[in-house]
Formats: sequence, structure tokens, C-alpha cells
Amino acid sequence: MQPVYLDYAATTPMRSEVRQAMDPYLSDTFGNPSSRHRWGRKASAALEHARAVAAEALGAQPREIFFTRGGTESDNLAVLGRCRAISLEDGLPTLAISAVEHHAVYDTARWAEERGELRLVVLAVDTEGSIDLDPLRVALNDGPTVVSVMWVNNETGLFLPVPEIATLVEELGGTLHTDAVQAIGKVPVSTKHSGIRLLSATAHKIYGPRGTGLLFVREGTDVAPLLYGGGQEGALRPGTEDVAGAVGFATALRLAVEEQAEESVRLGALRDAFEDRVLAQIEGVRINAGAARRSPSISSLGIDGADGELLLSALDLEGVATSGGSACASGSNAASHVISALFGPDDAKATVRFSFGRHSSEADVSRAVAVLADVVGRVRELEGVS
Amino acid sequence: MSRVLVAMSGGVDSSVAAALLVDAGHEVVGVTMKTFCYSGTPAHSKTCCGLDGIMDAKRVADALGIPHYVFDVEEDFTRDVIDDFVSEYAQGRTPNPCVNCNSNTKFKDLLTRGRALGCDQIASGHYVRVEHAPEGSSLLRGLDPDKDQSYFLWAMPRSLLPKLLFPVGELTKSAVRAHARDLALITADKPESQEICFVPSGNYRDLLEKRLSPVHPALQPGPIVRRNGEVVGEHSGYASFTVGQRKGLRGGFPEPMFVLQIRPHTREVVVGNRDELFEDVVDIGGLNWLAEPPTVGDRVNAQLRYRAAAVPAVVTRIDESLTLELAEPQLAVSPGQSAVLFDDRERVLGGGRIVSASTRALV
Repeated sequence: MQPVYLDYAATTPMRSEVRQAMDPYLSDTFGNPSSRHRWGRKASAALEHARAVAAEALGAQPREIFFTRGGTESDNLAVLGRCRAISLEDGLPTLAISAVEHHAVYDTARWAEERGELRLVVLAVDTEGSIDLDPLRVALNDGPTVVSVMWVNNETGLFLPVPEIATLVEELGGTLHTDAVQAIGKVPVSTKHSGIRLLSATAHKIYGPRGTGLLFVREGTDVAPLLYGGGQEGALRPGTEDVAGAVGFATALRLAVEEQAEESVRLGALRDAFEDRVLAQIEGVRINAGAARRSPSISSLGIDGADGELLLSALDLEGVATSGGSACASGSNAASHVISALFGPDDAKATVRFSFGRHSSEADVSRAVAVLADVVGRVRELEGVS
Repeated sequence: MSRVLVAMSGGVDSSVAAALLVDAGHEVVGVTMKTFCYSGTPAHSKTCCGLDGIMDAKRVADALGIPHYVFDVEEDFTRDVIDDFVSEYAQGRTPNPCVNCNSNTKFKDLLTRGRALGCDQIASGHYVRVEHAPEGSSLLRGLDPDKDQSYFLWAMPRSLLPKLLFPVGELTKSAVRAHARDLALITADKPESQEICFVPSGNYRDLLEKRLSPVHPALQPGPIVRRNGEVVGEHSGYASFTVGQRKGLRGGFPEPMFVLQIRPHTREVVVGNRDELFEDVVDIGGLNWLAEPPTVGDRVNAQLRYRAAAVPAVVTRIDESLTLELAEPQLAVSPGQSAVLFDDRERVLGGGRIVSASTRALV
């Protein structure tokens, strides 16, 4: 039987339009955009065109778009770079992050706190996606504060109230960064709200190339670079630019935004059909954050009485590709910080994330439910034995 | 085609075991067990199951085109292997943690998980053989006498045997390495793992001090005595001693002295000369059988430590435990070590842990 890929939140296959758009810049039009000659000029024109396309897709100005080498880098640059810019001017900054941030923000924040670079405040999030705003207000009133709240959580699909927080942060004079990596193409994402000063995105989650991301930096927001050694990307991200990557990303971003409304409806219907059948056929399953507003492409299941690693491995062997909480935390039995934050540290359910995408079909859903029912049964049988 | 789960440590033996199974046409699933927390060990630890072991196993699996999963068995490993190791030393015995791990943690757990993964059989890179016959399955020594690992596997449940495959048991170590080189496996020239994996420094006393109360008798000073009760010195904790050990006993004796016995209740370490170390009556407890149990009067071959030859012996008593009389006295028979019994065709009958040893002259 053909294996079924239901791990689009981990990464996606490149679209043919993206590949075609990139192709010339991988061969004939290979110049370095910083070179003065015609090869350089051609490359530079392509890069700036890509920047304009990306800016338009996000409702930004081209000069506010900085290409990076991926989502993790954008998150690091936003959080550390903004905090460092503040500490040069105003002393020790406070960084307030939601408890369900991606590791690229969460681990970075903890590392910087340990090094004494910043004060860290972690904001509790409930299963409805509500954020505890009181400690945020205290921090914002207390001194210079950077806030990092993701738009859509990567493990559960949960929406966080970014526009609401943007209003609060703006009123109280803080800087808001949002990691929109999992949101683009799934929900309307825009930088129009003036409270959003930094936004991270990446190409490979939306059928673009691996290794290209961007950071939106609203004009007038100071960010210190993490790398030194060249003037590229406004010296915020030095290093010879990946023109093909930028072109591919811009193409993918434009298409994702154009198709978002229609694709979200289709994905949402698939996901709902999947969840209805799972709940009807398998006992002891919780849809994580099921009652909340969440991404139409992600279904995170909490499964009673089953070992998570075993479940994921068995699904894989039967040809259904999924992840635990995220694709990044394999080989450990411990619940992820996201699941712990939402359901408490003692939550003993195994987490399996199914994520749907462009090539997902009704047939994939049927197959996934059937395999899951079989595998859950097998794994649960052993729980008494081991 | 059957689905086989192969335990991959990241070493050359299990790498080749996996490769041979692939060649034989099985659907092979590689698994590495994460047995303990690696954060305290050096990044390039030599032990087989360290984090780089997991990465090497994954690289080999990728090269062979088979899936590879990591299973966290730290909780079971800590309870069944490390806690037992500490408790044995605390009681003045010399444990074989690798027996517990190989016989129980590894295979029992793999079989359970294997069932969930739809695997009919479990394989590993141990140098042992298994013979499947209509009347039952038998475990035999590996063909390479220098590498035979049957000593570590006597304690597994007999019911597992029909499920097991040991592809490298028919090969010599040099043939295994040659095969790995032919396949360009990255583990082909990896050094052997020697020390106990959770004591990478080789100094188990540190581990005991971490896991036992600092006032535990095993870590307190006590008298060094001769068999006749004469006190001849003081030691810094009997947990640092094992029967047959010479190191750590201060000099000043007219002849080399060795540990003969550890008496935890009085914290005495009994010492004597080399001649006193030879014993030929051995009591064994915690028995487990992989074949029909022997009866009184049966002749067996008993292996009393990992790198020792088996010695002919007669079973003189058997109930919950058994007594063996050895054909020849053996040096430094250590309580806590495994005694593994074989028949004349190198088949593992079963074994137990050495409880005590004595000499016929004194019986």
C-alpha cells in the first residue's frame, strides 16, 4: 500500500511553480547580488523583486522584509536581536513569551535568561488559547519589554490572540514579535496591525524551499544582528544572499496567501472528517485544544493508555507518517513543554499530530483512521504486559 | 516475508546483524534503546549505547534503508540494572549488570514493543546461536570463542527463545568487521565497548557514593582480617572490593594478599594468600533455565565469570538453588557473578547467581 504523508506541519513538498521560479537562479542567473557587473545586477533585481512580492503578501513595505536562512534563525534574530538592541540603550530588557512557543523562541529565551541577558516571563496559555495577560501588563509597565507570541501553535494548531495582544503591547510601549511559521496559508496573516513589529516566517512549510525564511521588521524597530561580516540584508543578516531561495519563498508566499481562504475550507473539512471518525471509532482519545479556534490543517490527538514512541513507530511501519508533538522532539518519553503547559505536567496521554496539506485526500483520511484504530489497539494491549 | 525487529546499539556487530537480515529478505526494523541519561557523559564516549551510539545506529539504518526508532527505557534500566548493581555491591557482592540488561531489559522489552510493531521475531548482534527445533529452541555459544556472549543471556525467559535470531553468532568477529567494511558501514572499525556503559569512567565507587546514603555501611571503613580473625588492617568501605582483588590492600605482608570474602554484617574484608582463593564447591541461587533443568548427579560445564573457560562440574543438590562440585578448584569464585551451565555441545542449560563458594576439604 502507498504510504500516506500526514506531517505537513513538519515540512512540505515543493510546488512546481516554486521550482520553476527558482530554476534560472540555480544555473544561468547565478550572480552575486552585491557585484556591480551585469550578473550581479540581474541577481539583485530578482532578489528585490522577491522582497517586494513577499512584502505585498504580508501587507508590508519591501524595506521591512529581511531574508534569513529559516524560521529558527528568524525567531532567534527577532528575540535576541531586539533584546540586545534594547540593552544597548535602556538596560536589561524583559522578554515575555507564551508558554507554548516553538523551541526556537522558548529555548533561546531560556538560554539568554541563564546568561543574564534578559529577564524572562512565561505567560500561561489555556486550552482555549487565552493568554494570562496580567503578568504581561506588569512587565510592560515595568520597563522595556519584548513580547513573543506565536500566531498558530505548531504542536496543536491552537490560535493565540495575536491582534489583541498587539493592541495591548502597543498601548504599553513594548515590542511584539510573532512567529507566524505555521499560520501563513492556514489563516489570514498580515503585518497591518501596527502593534506587530516583528514577524517570522519560513518557506518550507508552505511548499517553498528549505533553508529560506524571513523576518519582518517594522520601520523604526531597532534589531541587533546575530552575525557580522557583510552589509547584506541591511547588515541585519550578512552573508551572500540565496537569490533562488528568496525567489522561491516569494512565489510560495504569494500562492499561499492567494489560496488561503479556499484551501483552509478544504483542509478544515478533511480535518473535521478525520476527527469525527477518530472519535467515533477509537475510545479514550482527546482532540487537543479541540474546542478552541485553531488551524484547519492540524489535528493533535491525546491518546490514553499508549506509549507515544511506540504508537508513532507503529504508524510509520504501517505507512502513515505523523509526528509526536513536533517533529523535533523524538526519542524522548517526556511530554512536550506545549502539552505540559496546556494540560499540566502529569498529562499521561500520548500525543500524535496529524497535519494535512495540499495533497491530502479523503482516501488518506480513511486510511489514517483505520491504521490508527488498529495500531492503538495493538499498543494498548501491551500496556498491561510491560 | 516476516518483519524482524533488530536491536541496534550503534556498534559493528548489531550493524552487521541488521545488514544480514536485510540480505536474507526480512522486513527489518532497527531499534536503539536509550538506557540512561547521557548529559553527564563526555560527548565522544566510547560506550556502545551513548548518544553517539544512537546516532551511529541511525546512520547505519539509513544506509541500509530500514526504519530506525529510539525507545526510552531509562526507567526500566535504572530499576532493573543500575539499582540492582548498587544493591549488590552494598551487600558485598560483585554484580554482572550486563547480564540483567541483556537478558531482561533488552529482550523482554524488545519483544513487548516488537509485538506492538507487528514484528514476529527479535534479533540482535550478540555472538550466540539459537537452534530452532520441533522439540524446542536452544541457545548455544557463538562460534567465535573469543567473542561468545552466551554468558550474558542465561537469565532471559525461556519463552523468548523461539522468537530470537542472532545473525552474527555463526561468524567470527573478523568476518563481521570484514562484512561491515564490504558494505562500507560507518561502524566497521568502531572499537569494542568494554566498560560498564553507565560507569564510563570505570570507577563504580563514584556511582555508589551518588546512589547510596553516605552513611551506608558499604562505604564506611572496616577491618581487614585473616580467616582466623586476626585484624591486619583497615579498608575504606567494602564496596570497593571484590573477591580475588589485590589492589587496595596495603602492603606489609610477607606474600601477596587477595580478598577472599566480604562480610557485610561486620564490614570485614577477609584476605588470604593465593592458595586460599581456590574453591571447588559453589552455591548458586536465582536459577533460570533455558533447557530442561538438570538433576542431582548430572554432569555440566560451569562458566563462573565472563572471560573464563567452563569447568566440568557435578550437580550435587538442586531445589530453589543448587550446589555444584567442580572437577578442579577455581580461582576467585565471586558471589554475585553469574554461573552459567552448559552441556557438552555448548548449549546453555541455564544459570544463576553465585551465592557462596567453599572448598570440599572444609565441607
